[in-house]
Amino acid sequence: MSTATDLNRPAAPPAFQEINASRRFKNRLATILVAGTFVLALAPLVWLLITVIAKGFQYVLNADWWQKSLAGLTSRQFGGGVYHAIVGTLLQGLICAVIAVPIAVMVAVYLVEYGKRSRLAKAVTFTVDILSGVPSIVAALFIYALCITTLGMPRSAFAVSLALVLLMIPVVVRTTEELLKIVPDELREAAYALGVPKWKTIVKIVIPTAMSGIITGITLAIARVMGETAPVLVLVGYTTFINYDPFGGSMASLPLLMTSERLTTNEVGEARVWGAAVTLILIITVFNLLGSLISRLTSLKTK
Amino acid sequence: MISKRPATVLGFIAAGALALTACGSDNNTATPGANNTAAPAPTATTPVECGGKKSLVAEGSSAQKGAIEAFVAAYGAKCSGQQLAYTPSGSGAGVKQFNAGIVDIGGSDSPLNKDKGEVEAAAKRCQGNPAWNLPLVFGPVGIAYKLDGVTSLTVTPELTAKIFSGAVTKWNDPAVAAVNSGATLPDKAITVIYRGDESGTTDNFQKYLKAAGKGAWTKDAGKKFNGGVGQGAQGSAGVADAIGAGDGTIGYIEWSYVQDKKLSAAKLDSGSGAVELGAEGAAAAIKSAKVKGEGNDLVLDLDSLYASNTAGAYPLVLATYEIVCSKGYDADTTKAVKAFLNVAATDGQGALAEAGYVPLPNEFQAKLLGAIKAIA
Repeated sequence: MSTATDLNRPAAPPAFQEINASRRFKNRLATILVAGTFVLALAPLVWLLITVIAKGFQYVLNADWWQKSLAGLTSRQFGGGVYHAIVGTLLQGLICAVIAVPIAVMVAVYLVEYGKRSRLAKAVTFTVDILSGVPSIVAALFIYALCITTLGMPRSAFAVSLALVLLMIPVVVRTTEELLKIVPDELREAAYALGVPKWKTIVKIVIPTAMSGIITGITLAIARVMGETAPVLVLVGYTTFINYDPFGGSMASLPLLMTSERLTTNEVGEARVWGAAVTLILIITVFNLLGSLISRLTSLKTK
Repeated sequence: MISKRPATVLGFIAAGALALTACGSDNNTATPGANNTAAPAPTATTPVECGGKKSLVAEGSSAQKGAIEAFVAAYGAKCSGQQLAYTPSGSGAGVKQFNAGIVDIGGSDSPLNKDKGEVEAAAKRCQGNPAWNLPLVFGPVGIAYKLDGVTSLTVTPELTAKIFSGAVTKWNDPAVAAVNSGATLPDKAITVIYRGDESGTTDNFQKYLKAAGKGAWTKDAGKKFNGGVGQGAQGSAGVADAIGAGDGTIGYIEWSYVQDKKLSAAKLDSGSGAVELGAEGAAAAIKSAKVKGEGNDLVLDLDSLYASNTAGAYPLVLATYEIVCSKGYDADTTKAVKAFLNVAATDGQGALAEAGYVPLPNEFQAKLLGAIKAIA
């Protein structure tokens, strides 16, 4: 009998016999704090989303909302849509991406593949860091001073795109740089061992490996710059008409439409502002979804 | 293995974007809103020569945004396909952008200021020709209040000056009671709401108090509120919100905001009976307005207008100007600017009262049409 109890008894007393009250209290406190801050951070986001959707979703259900402009309507007439602003937002975002993406990706390639730890690379990284901290209004005023005051260009959607380029480049450079860095060196070495030149290694091996992440980063950056308000306020005039010409004339965009219609204090203005807010959120959501879809479709297939 | 799909996916997106751009349209049928007030519109017509620059650009005062929208609608109806883009970024911005040559027409609550060099800058922008201030949009400014239990309130310019400079601080002050005999006024503090930002409305309101207040307004005029009492609010919309949200509040805002926010506005008694805020009283006041500008530069002498006590007139009126070049536009722009202004001064007037503004009196319309004709 005594042997059986001896066998059941552990050879040494367990290290954790009893967690004492103060440690249990600290554990619980930490759990509550972490969960609490999580709720605290989430609450305003959910609240905002619910408010915007509750106030604006009814207006975007109308087919006219997506197909018509506000041309010829006064601020006391319902009807029309925000097509002119959607076109402006997409066009400005697209032009910005066309200019910014090649530059940003090539800068990142230089930093990771060629520059490594050279003095120039360090300077570029430093500049990109500073550029990513520049407020959008500063970028807008810079372009205003450069293109409109100095070079005498008219205010246009293209100027907006240039300001957005300044905001987009650092974001894309940073994400691309990080993604290129995690491409394993073994892949590069294997390519070199087969006698593949460096540029071909980069184009055929390194970039495709990181492609899905790069595309995700680009889409997120586009979605981010499309919501910028300061450049459109400074660099282009508002119009209620559809304008496809990025080089001349006023062009509406969703943030600009919201700031202009905010001056309309009646129910018509409210409908337009909340509706435009929902539209912008929807468009950005679609872009984010597209980003993850593309990254899934283009990611490397492992056989 | 690397997928060949990115190109395909991008192709799909491009195709989708193209499909989306194919279906937009500027054709709108208006659904009228709630405010339909009939008011006498001026009767003269003028031949409009459509054409020229397809899309005019204008910028300026937010006080005339609604009126410009009505004009743009009329312009599009008369001259099919012609457009005007208006950015309501404030009077200061309007003058600045006009003088920089960025916009074709500037909108401002006050005429070009000689002391600030605006007149010279404008002449430079117009290739050495003077710019004209054309007062195309008039809107009465309401003294809106919210006081539970009081549905009708009358003020005199003198009383208004006292309230907005802090000399009268209670609703049951004898000075208020003297003008509102028979009304039961509560023992509440008066909360003045003013425009915290620089504004043409504040400028005109303070000029009015100085001109009509019989010396009760001892402060300066200017775009900043100098009364020294009350709470500031951002923009007319902010003032309207603040008045509506409080009790015992009073403030000055454009008529269209009084209508949109459904606020109560005080009647104004300039010495010959109380007049309600509205198009009729304001139109009666504008009729007696004198022009102090030279020739076709129709700058108004507001002091004499403000100090008038014509029976049935509501003299607290905001005049907002369109600033245009008398000469010096290129031919295309000249044609379009003239067409737009002509439509605005004739067809556009009909919809003004509905938008919260005052249609031009006949006499004044004739002066304006003459000036527009002279633009070359």
